[in-house]
Amino acid sequence: MSVWSAAQPRACFPLLTQQSELIWLDSAATTQKPLAVLDAERAFYEQINANVHRGAHRLGHAATEAFEAARSSVAHFINSPSRQQVVFTRGATEAINLVAHSWGGSQLQAGDEILISMLEHHADIVPWQMLAARTGAMVKPIPLTDALELDLDALAAMLSPRTRLVCVTAMSNVLGTRPPLSRIIAMAHAVGARVLVDAAQALAHDVIDVQALDADFLVFSAHKVFGPTGIGALWARMELLEAMPPWQGGGEMIARVSFDGTTYAPPPLRFEAGTPAFAQAVGFAAALNWLQQQDRSAIAAHETALYQQLAAGIAHIDGVHILGAPHDKGPIASLAFATAHPYDVAQFLDNADIAVRVGNHCAEPLMQALQQHGTLRVSIAAYNSAHDITRLLAVLAETLELLA
Amino acid sequence: MTTLSIPALPASLELTALRQRLADAQGWENKNRTLVQLARDLPSLPEAFRTEDHRIQGCEARVWLYTDDQNGQIALWVDSDSRVVKGLLALVWSAYAGRSADEVRNFDFAALLQELGLSRFLSSSRVSGLSAIVRAIQRAV
Repeated sequence: MSVWSAAQPRACFPLLTQQSELIWLDSAATTQKPLAVLDAERAFYEQINANVHRGAHRLGHAATEAFEAARSSVAHFINSPSRQQVVFTRGATEAINLVAHSWGGSQLQAGDEILISMLEHHADIVPWQMLAARTGAMVKPIPLTDALELDLDALAAMLSPRTRLVCVTAMSNVLGTRPPLSRIIAMAHAVGARVLVDAAQALAHDVIDVQALDADFLVFSAHKVFGPTGIGALWARMELLEAMPPWQGGGEMIARVSFDGTTYAPPPLRFEAGTPAFAQAVGFAAALNWLQQQDRSAIAAHETALYQQLAAGIAHIDGVHILGAPHDKGPIASLAFATAHPYDVAQFLDNADIAVRVGNHCAEPLMQALQQHGTLRVSIAAYNSAHDITRLLAVLAETLELLA
Repeated sequence: MTTLSIPALPASLELTALRQRLADAQGWENKNRTLVQLARDLPSLPEAFRTEDHRIQGCEARVWLYTDDQNGQIALWVDSDSRVVKGLLALVWSAYAGRSADEVRNFDFAALLQELGLSRFLSSSRVSGLSAIVRAIQRAV
């Protein structure tokens, strides 16, 4: 395995080279963007810009080709059997709302159950609660073990023929926990339930293969995987997409419109009403292509080494610990403090130009389960270095002494 | 409700002294350090009074406010689980404690933050949290 040096990828990120003192440890909120992404969007606007799927002109055809090529890049990145299974959305949140409205609205009824992991982000909780209120279906949380892993024994006891859907993250945005997806999916399929995987956090770190996973729905956002904001995707099994009704009406999503009745386009366009974010789709593809050109196993090893450096350093500082010790976790750590307030710590880190996130991380049910008012989250990405972690640990130790 | 006898605050928290200390602290790291020191001088509200009844909503950190009318002057006790916020509350205390209702209504707290060079260091959520506290004090008189 080759060794990944963060100096080289940092040089790919204009914001990080222009602000050379900045230590960005908030990649779970959003990643910085490589030059390749900025160049791709700029080149699209300078050379191709035209609306897609309708041009009676050279640029219209070129824009449609670029947009559909971007869809192919996304499909390829997650090993989708076809690009028609990739629906562009505004992000993972909109993708979940799409599934809740279209699949959930047409398939679920009173008495059906939706099992949601306790690790989920609000985006994978609230749309299901809204759906439950409309249909009479029930939402039930899958609890955690003491090590803050999903309790699979509890899940096994909860699964029944009434279970229609299991929602689970591929990597917790708060703790970094990676639930055993293949096992959970097999358990759910055994009772005839579908599984939605929230891959928003995992995609920048893990190789995601929808066919190997045997997932039913998988969602993600471009901006958490080095791409632009305002775009993400839903991947789903073709037979599910084909049976799903549209959820928003407008242009692009129709086959034929008349006041006597309208017929809808096949997937994925059926779910993409209105002008899509086509320039951002090109940027999204550029981000995935950039990542695919890197040595991904070397990046993963690099991120794990940085996480271990962080964990070892935290163990030597009084008054702080990392929440949870799951068996399998990504490079995300939630720090809890004995007495210091996480906002105060973050303020002093910010004074030293170290960016982290504090609060409940859009996961209030998880915070209640952890009995925390808020944590300080450190999230690591490919462009971080051992220097970043060393500096964080030094400022953290000094800050906790000051606040003691 | 049980009443609370409010302790006398140390001279280090008199408005003039406090103004000087914060004005002398240059840069936001020094201002934050000064706020943490001020927090140490502000007595903590007894645990029994750190209840939802006394909590000010709209702050990132938890903030508690206890007020009492003592012969036409406002007596107050403020506290927070955040040291930086508690340092800012020391400033709130020095600006409002012992003032008459008219003085409380007329005091321009935003102008004080401006004068001490704190406005530009505070996040918008901190500023709106402080405004919520000031409004609660003004409602109490």
